Amino acid sequence: MSPDVFAGIAQASGFLVLLTTAVGVFIGLTVGMIPGMTISTGIIVLLPVTFVLPADISIALLLGLYVGGMTGGSFSAVLLNIPGTPSASATALDGYPMSARGEAGRALGIAITSSFVGGIVSFFCLLFIAPLLAEVALSFRTEDMFALVFFGITIICSFAAQSLVKGLLSGVIGLAIVTIGQDPVMGTQRFTFGEVNLIGGIHFLTAMIGLFAIPQLVSNLADAGGGAKQIQTKLKSVLPRVADLRSIRMPVTIGSLTGAFLGILPGAGGPIAAFISYDYAQRVSKRGEDFGTGSVEGVAAPESANNAVTGGALIPMMTLGIPGDPVTAILIGALIIHGLAPGPLMFTERGDFAFGLIFSFFWANIFNFIIALTALRVLVKLLATPRAILMPSVAVLCVIGAFALRNNFFDVYVMLFFGLVGLAMRWLNMPVVPLLLALVLGVPLEENLRVALTSSQGDIAIFFSSPIAVTFLALSALSIIWSLRAARLRPKAPLPPPTENSS
Amino acid sequence: MRRRNIIAALVLLAIGAGYGVLTSQLPARSLPDTPGPPFFPWINTIVILALSAALLVQGLATVDGPAPAQTGSRQRAAWALGVFFAYLMVLPGAGFILATIPFFAALMVLFGETRVLRVAASAMLATASLYLLFRHGFGVFLPTGLLKGIVP
Repeated sequence: MSPDVFAGIAQASGFLVLLTTAVGVFIGLTVGMIPGMTISTGIIVLLPVTFVLPADISIALLLGLYVGGMTGGSFSAVLLNIPGTPSASATALDGYPMSARGEAGRALGIAITSSFVGGIVSFFCLLFIAPLLAEVALSFRTEDMFALVFFGITIICSFAAQSLVKGLLSGVIGLAIVTIGQDPVMGTQRFTFGEVNLIGGIHFLTAMIGLFAIPQLVSNLADAGGGAKQIQTKLKSVLPRVADLRSIRMPVTIGSLTGAFLGILPGAGGPIAAFISYDYAQRVSKRGEDFGTGSVEGVAAPESANNAVTGGALIPMMTLGIPGDPVTAILIGALIIHGLAPGPLMFTERGDFAFGLIFSFFWANIFNFIIALTALRVLVKLLATPRAILMPSVAVLCVIGAFALRNNFFDVYVMLFFGLVGLAMRWLNMPVVPLLLALVLGVPLEENLRVALTSSQGDIAIFFSSPIAVTFLALSALSIIWSLRAARLRPKAPLPPPTENSS
Repeated sequence: MRRRNIIAALVLLAIGAGYGVLTSQLPARSLPDTPGPPFFPWINTIVILALSAALLVQGLATVDGPAPAQTGSRQRAAWALGVFFAYLMVLPGAGFILATIPFFAALMVLFGETRVLRVAASAMLATASLYLLFRHGFGVFLPTGLLKGIVP
C-alpha cells in the first residue's frame, strides 16, 4: 500500500482535524435541517473561516458540513414535510407519513442509518476509484482535457435545467464571465475597462455567494409571513429495529450504488439520485404499493442515495478538477486558496493530502452517524430557531465572506451584482448551477482548447485524433440528446424539478 | 413564463451583441493559424446569440401556461435589497460595527421581529460577536471606519 495512504490516515486522524470534522458535521446537520438554509448556504457562511485555517482543517470542516447537511435535510422532511435540502425531497414522501402516525423516531433512525451506509459505500468508491482515475487522467493530452471539461459543462447544463436552452445559456454566460481579466494563454487583458480589480478576473467564490445566498435570503423573506409549523420534538427510540434493518437491505443497496454512480456524473446531484433510487426501490420491492404511505424502504432508498452522492462527487473533483455540484466547486475554491490544485497531479504531488481528504470524508460519515443518533433530540429543537435572527446573520456572514477573500470591497460589490443576476435568473426559471460551474471550468476549457489548436496549427482534426477526446465529445453529444428526450418525456417522469442546488 | 422567456431572450440577444462588439475591439495578438485572445469570446458570442434566438423562438411558439404562484411579498424583498444596497454603500466609510447594527436590525424587522428591545439587543450582540470573531479570532481586517481608534 502506498505510504501516502498511511500519511493520509494520520492527517485525517489528528485530534484537531477530527474535532473540526465533528464540528462540521454538527453544523451540517443543523443547516441541512433548517428549511431555507441549504448546504451551499452553510458552506458560504463558513467560507471566511476556512480562508484562515490550515488546509487539512478547512477541508475537514467543509466535508463534515457536506456529509452532515445531506442527512440533516431529512430531519425537517420527516418532521415537518419540508425538505431541509432539495436532496431530501424524496425522503418526505414516506418519512412524513411515518411521522404523522407517531413513528418519527423510527423514520429518522432509518434515515440516519441509510445515510451512513450510503456514505460509507461512496467512501470505498472514492478510495479505490479516485487514485486509479487520477493515474489514467495523467496520460490525458490537452485535446483530451478539453473534451473532458466540455463534457463536464454539457452534462451539467443538461441535468440542471428543465429547458436545455436555458441550461446551456446559463453555462455560456458563465464562460463569457470567465473571459473577464487576463487571458489564460497570452496574459492579454480582456473586458477589464481599466479597472485594476478586474485584471485577476471574477473570483468564482464571490460570484457563488451572490448567486446562491442573496436569492435564498430574498426567497426566505418572501416566505417570512408564513406561520410556523408544529414541530414534533418528542421522539421515541431512534435506533432502528432488526426487522427494519432487514427490510431496508435492498433499497439501501440500490440507493448507495445509484447515488455513488450519479455523484460521479457532474450536475446529477442528490435530488436526482434520491428520486431515481426511490423509483427503482419501489419497482423491485415486494411492498411497492406501500411506498408513499410511510414505508421504511421509501425512506431508506433516497437517504442512502443522497449521502452516497457525496463521495461520488468527490471523485471527479479530486482527480479531474471537475466539480459536480456547488459544494464541490467551493471545495475546489478552498483547495486553490491553500495552494492545492485538484486534478490528477494531486495524487502524485500531494498524495498525503489527497488521501487525507478521503479519510476525512470517512470520519465525517462516522461522526455523522454518531452525532445524528445521539444528538437528534437537541438538533430537532434547533428547528425552532427564529429566522429573524438566523437570516440577518447569514446576510452579514455573506458580506464578510466576500470581503475576506481578498480584503477588498470590490468583491463585496461583485457579490451584490451576482446576487441580482441570481434573482433575475430565478425569475426567468433559469438554473444558476451551470453558470457557477462554468466559472470554475471556463479557464481550463479555454486554455486546453487554445493550446490544442496551437499545437495543431489551427487544425480542429486534433480533437478527433485521440480516442479519449472522441469518447468525451460523443458523450457530450449524447448528454444533449438525452436531455432533449428527457424534456419530451418529463411530464411522466418521477424526477423532481431542477433545483438551484444539488445539495 | 412565455413573456419572461421572450424578455430573457431579448435581453440576452442585447448582451450577446454588446459582448460581440467588445470582443471585436480586443487586440488580435497571435501567431499565424493559432487562436488569439478574442478566439474564445467569439465562440461565446456566437453561442449566446444562437441560444438566445432559440429561446426567443421557443417563447414565441409556446402557449402561455398559468402564471407561477407568488410565494410572498415582493415589497418586502425590494425593501431587503434596498437595505442591503444601502449597507454596502455605508460599510466602507462607517465601518463594520456602525453599519452592521442598523442593517441587522432592519433585516430582523423585515423578517417579522417587532419587539424593539429584542431587535436592538440581537443586532448589537450579533454585530459585536461577529466583529470580535472575525477581526480578532480569524484576522479578517473588517473596517473600523468612524470608530477607528475607539474599537480594537
